[in-house]
Amino acid sequence: MRTILAMTWKEMLRKKVMLLTLLLTVVFLIAFWFVADTVGRNDPNTGTLGNGNGLFMQYMNGAFILSLGFFFGAFVIAFLAIFSSFSVIAGEAEQGVMQALLPRPLPRWKWYLGRWLGFVTLGTIYALILFTAILLITSAHANVPRDAAVLVKSFLLFASVVPLLISVSMLGSGLFSALGNGVFMTMLYGAGFLGGMVDKLSGSLRLEDDGLKVLNNLTGMISMIMPADTLQRRMTVELFSLKDLNGMVSMNSGALTLMNFNSFPSNTFVVYAVIYTVVIFGLGLLRFQRKDL
Amino acid sequence: MSSIPAIDANALTKAYPNGRGCQDVTLTVGKGEAFGFLGPNGAGKSTFVKMLVGLISPTDGQASILGHPLGSIEAKMKIGYLPELYRYQDWLTGEEVVRLHAKLCRIPKSVMDQRIPQLLQEVGIGLRGGDRVKHYSKGMQQRLGLACALVNDPEILFLDEPSSALDPIGRMEVRKILQRLKERGITIFLNSHLLEDVEVLCDRMALLSNGAVLRHGKVAEMLNKRTNWHFKVGGYTPFLLSWLNEHTGLTIRQSVPAAGKSGYDPAQEGESDSSIVWLAAELDHEEQAGWLNGLMVQQGMTLYQVIRQTERLEDWFMDAVAGLSHRGEKE
Repeated sequence: MRTILAMTWKEMLRKKVMLLTLLLTVVFLIAFWFVADTVGRNDPNTGTLGNGNGLFMQYMNGAFILSLGFFFGAFVIAFLAIFSSFSVIAGEAEQGVMQALLPRPLPRWKWYLGRWLGFVTLGTIYALILFTAILLITSAHANVPRDAAVLVKSFLLFASVVPLLISVSMLGSGLFSALGNGVFMTMLYGAGFLGGMVDKLSGSLRLEDDGLKVLNNLTGMISMIMPADTLQRRMTVELFSLKDLNGMVSMNSGALTLMNFNSFPSNTFVVYAVIYTVVIFGLGLLRFQRKDL
Repeated sequence: MSSIPAIDANALTKAYPNGRGCQDVTLTVGKGEAFGFLGPNGAGKSTFVKMLVGLISPTDGQASILGHPLGSIEAKMKIGYLPELYRYQDWLTGEEVVRLHAKLCRIPKSVMDQRIPQLLQEVGIGLRGGDRVKHYSKGMQQRLGLACALVNDPEILFLDEPSSALDPIGRMEVRKILQRLKERGITIFLNSHLLEDVEVLCDRMALLSNGAVLRHGKVAEMLNKRTNWHFKVGGYTPFLLSWLNEHTGLTIRQSVPAAGKSGYDPAQEGESDSSIVWLAAELDHEEQAGWLNGLMVQQGMTLYQVIRQTERLEDWFMDAVAGLSHRGEKE
């Protein structure tokens, strides 16, 4: 299995997937620096002990900058996870790579796990680099959360979409053609993202209760099918301690629009997402064990 | 010596919903044997090989590799496989590909370091082992495939069209490699369209048609290798032919050699002369031909040319599948 894991790393490096991703990330981070600088200058500088509103505005600036960064970051790690793995079975079977490799004395589950671990470790390392860079750039221009427990919890939620999406992508790769799976995964992730957007916007639409309920049910169903975006929203909630702020300030206005939610994803949903990942991984493995090549 | 066969397939079947695959294939290949697997395109040969190497699961029947169930790690430890349609990781170098296969076969590093350069040399890749596979031609990739198949020093070697992409020199080299492997006692299962390879290399063979074994047995027996001798003679009369048949006890007849074989070219025949004809006889050995030559000359005939023709596998193959309906590669 270590051989397959190392092969996966080598593949990602040799095919320059990681290099291109890192180069584009540097470009993004440079742009992000200037955005953070511009927004950071808007600091009301009234954050004294006697002025709670000033403190809140400082917090809002930091939150806004971080939200922008993670909005992009969530996209990048999702697409890295999807595009690194969407053709791993179908593509290699179509090309004939697998026909030469799998008659070797290696149980199929080890091949599958090795590939999965290879993609997940690289994706997680990249997520850590991106998470840290976004925090450091923001901290240079505004206040950022510094509680280690909050940061660790937020990072785990931020990176959790990597194993989730790779599990779904590898299952899809065992079921569909490489091209079909690429389209399927993009649309599935897009649907999850759309559900998140609907959830964010519905709060500011001032809908009647019935209409809001319908939208909530809809976004809930989408989240169940593709929990990635909801996990990212939960990450934002953890990072900014939004649960603690709820009720103290209006969540439907100003800089909080990007992290404006009708409802905070619950702990139960996080547990659901973990089970979802494990089950999808298991189904993918089962499918691969029985697949004729 | 153990009596466990190298390959033992009993009514092995892979049924696809579209009716393709192969049905009830029963065959045994002994250790050290070279076995040829023939059949028209789409007959199900690759499906059968893929079942044996564990790439696809049979829908019915049983088979074992050196006594181990198909697809088991024990069976896979003992085999080498060169697939028909394959590509290696083009982002690796040739040597890295072979090394990857060696690692998967759990070969110690010290053995790898010694064996891999030798193998690359043997299959004709040599110093190009350091180039990325994406720069390899199809023929080079086929050589690389052979190196990968041999890296674990397999007891059974499955080859699915091993020289289909090679030029004539490459084919000859591969044939020599396979001859050496056979001499070393490695069991070879050769699935090839190149009938000459099967004829030269294999001890036994089977013919698959529409997913079922049509014939199988020893190559020599199946070809029933009797040699046809053709004599171009002048001064022929029907009386002389009767005399020869009666005197020799052989069946000698008037028959022109098959065109294109053994150097016979009908275009080079001169103007027709009823006294110059081709006579043919099935003979067991050369001494009979010499004796017959002597009798013909003794009886006043002039001997212009002698041609020896043996039935080739190609003729046998065409005869065997002639008149049958083939499902082909497409629906």
